[in-house]
Amino acid sequence: MNIFENIKMALDSIRSNKMRSFLTMLGIIIGISSVIAIVSLGQGGQNSITSEFEKIGAATVKITVNTSKAEWSDWITFDDVERIKEKINNVKYASMSLTMDGVLRTGKKSLDAYFIGGTEDMVKIEGLTLLDGRFFNRYEYQSGKAVAVIDENSAKRLFGTKDVVGRTLEAGPHDSMRKVTVVGLIKSPYEMFADMIPEDQFPVIAYIPATYLVNLYSEQKAVYQIYIMADSKDNAKTAGELTVRFLENRHGNRDREVYRAETVMQQMDQINQVMSIFTTFVAAVAAISLLVGGVGVMNIMLVSVTERTREIGIRKAIGAKTRNIMFQFLTESVIISCLGGTIGLILGLAGAYGLGQLAGITPAVSPQTVIVAILFSTMVGVFFGIYPARKAAKLDPIEALRYE
Amino acid sequence: MIKITDLVKTYKTGDIELTALKGVSLHIKPGEYVSIMGPSGCGKSTMMNVLGCLDKMSSGQYLLNGKDISRLSDNELADIRNKEIGFVFQSFNLLPRMTILENVELPMVYAGVPHKERRAKALEALSKVELSDRIHHKPNEISGGQKQRVAIARAIVNRPSVILADEPTGNLDSKVTEEILRIIQELNDEGTTILMVTHEHDVAQHSKRIIRMKDGNILDDSPVENRTIL
Ligand SMILES: Nc1ncnc2c1ncn2[C@@H]1O[C@H](COP(=O)(O)OP(=O)(O)OP(=O)(O)O)[C@@H](O)[C@H]1O
Ligand SMILES: [Mg+2]
Repeated sequence: MNIFENIKMALDSIRSNKMRSFLTMLGIIIGISSVIAIVSLGQGGQNSITSEFEKIGAATVKITVNTSKAEWSDWITFDDVERIKEKINNVKYASMSLTMDGVLRTGKKSLDAYFIGGTEDMVKIEGLTLLDGRFFNRYEYQSGKAVAVIDENSAKRLFGTKDVVGRTLEAGPHDSMRKVTVVGLIKSPYEMFADMIPEDQFPVIAYIPATYLVNLYSEQKAVYQIYIMADSKDNAKTAGELTVRFLENRHGNRDREVYRAETVMQQMDQINQVMSIFTTFVAAVAAISLLVGGVGVMNIMLVSVTERTREIGIRKAIGAKTRNIMFQFLTESVIISCLGGTIGLILGLAGAYGLGQLAGITPAVSPQTVIVAILFSTMVGVFFGIYPARKAAKLDPIEALRYE
Repeated sequence: MIKITDLVKTYKTGDIELTALKGVSLHIKPGEYVSIMGPSGCGKSTMMNVLGCLDKMSSGQYLLNGKDISRLSDNELADIRNKEIGFVFQSFNLLPRMTILENVELPMVYAGVPHKERRAKALEALSKVELSDRIHHKPNEISGGQKQRVAIARAIVNRPSVILADEPTGNLDSKVTEEILRIIQELNDEGTTILMVTHEHDVAQHSKRIIRMKDGNILDDSPVENRTIL
């Protein structure tokens, strides 16, 4: 009695009860396919976040003021930003990132917009891609010139063309708008969401020198958040720490620990951690359906044992040992689960790629995922098959033969 | 060959105890051809099942080819059923989902005989019972007589020393009965010990020795005179 005999017998029995076998597999199929789809999409999502962050710049550090502890005098001034760049060797670029709600208006159109105020370094820190013209320069920042850089999507919607460099539009809060000159056109930073959001609903944005933006909104020249960029990825952490120390010295608040430096990579790690907890949780929920599938397998195997009592009696009468019967039924349940697992794997991958296409995520399928899925469904088959198989194996030959 | 002493078999159904065999002693030598007769319920099948190692006795001793059966484990009993005993049932007991050939091969599957040898031996056993066509059919596609021939082929395929047949012709008409009895007789002529339960005197007349039972006891045990030889 070898394994091939067992597999052949099991396949015969599964084939002779096709519909029932399929329904039994369904639980496993659903369980495995959802786990596979979720895990590969989650992994794919993490990968795309990682690459997105790496694009922005691994050398970038966010410096924040703890607004719950800080006093107004602790906020980072525009002057601080200048000094940081000047005094700290490792800091190559520095900019505030000040966001204001407002309106952009051309002769044709008026759209709600976000204004992002920064220094001339913003183009480097945010990794913006210029398509036409230039970013506002140091002189324009320092003297607070009324200039703006807009993205191609906004340009098309406001002007109906991408040829906008040198043209003017009105910008500001809706009750006090002023004329601003467009000096550059950038690629839309929302392009990666093009699959999810229609392009005419992308936020309208304009990069404006922070000095001009505070003037436009009559705000103070102080912010609670700035970005710096170190000269290399390895120096990011040091640059962040030096900046915090420098700010504490300038504001004389070392003892209160109001500043915090966080590298982009640290931020990404956090997001990835949250993502992976979420993925694991959803996958665990899906795995419960695998358990339910396993119970289904057990149920059908028990029915099958009862139905085939006489067959078991005959087999025993002609010399089947306890273990022969045991393995026969165990093989059957393992094959059902494995088959279900394999179908589930295929459907799960198909689902992951299908959904991924819709969501704009490339699913990441690791060999481990595939191996674990197959191994797990096998284990489900063994675990839930063992009780029915033992029940079959322990039947008394003569009673089994008498069974009608 | 077969030696039983004071064999008692008691069935317990809830609180009710029923003693089907009340201390039966019997000695059967190699090459014998024995019929067991008696009224319904007298314990014939019970005895066959115990002799066939399908059922366990309540007390007594059973020696088969010198082995003390009462001391064997379930797996050792399975081995004996597989190699030393061939069982033929009244209701054939073939596996419906397997072909004729596969049914005959099955005891060899459990004996661990390699695939090729199995096929050859199964075909040999089938030719012995004169059934060489229709071997790839399922049991429900052949007649009762053919089914019993398949069952006999299955019983002899591992070359057991004894064949136990519980009313092998009970479901068959007289013409087919004769065919089956001729096969059994041939097996006996080749040296296989035969034990056969039957209700029909004509059938018993083919054997060499008749044991009559009543109420779980042996009433009479005598050689057959004027035995019918086919
Ligand atoms: N599993 C069982 N549980 C309880 N009683 C049983 C069982 N099997 C048989 N008996 C009883 O034991 C007695 C002997 O039965 P057995 O089947 O040996 O008779 P038999 O001689 O083969 O009869 P028949 O000629 O009708 O086949 C009967 O009274 C029967 O009711
Ligand atoms: Mg009987």
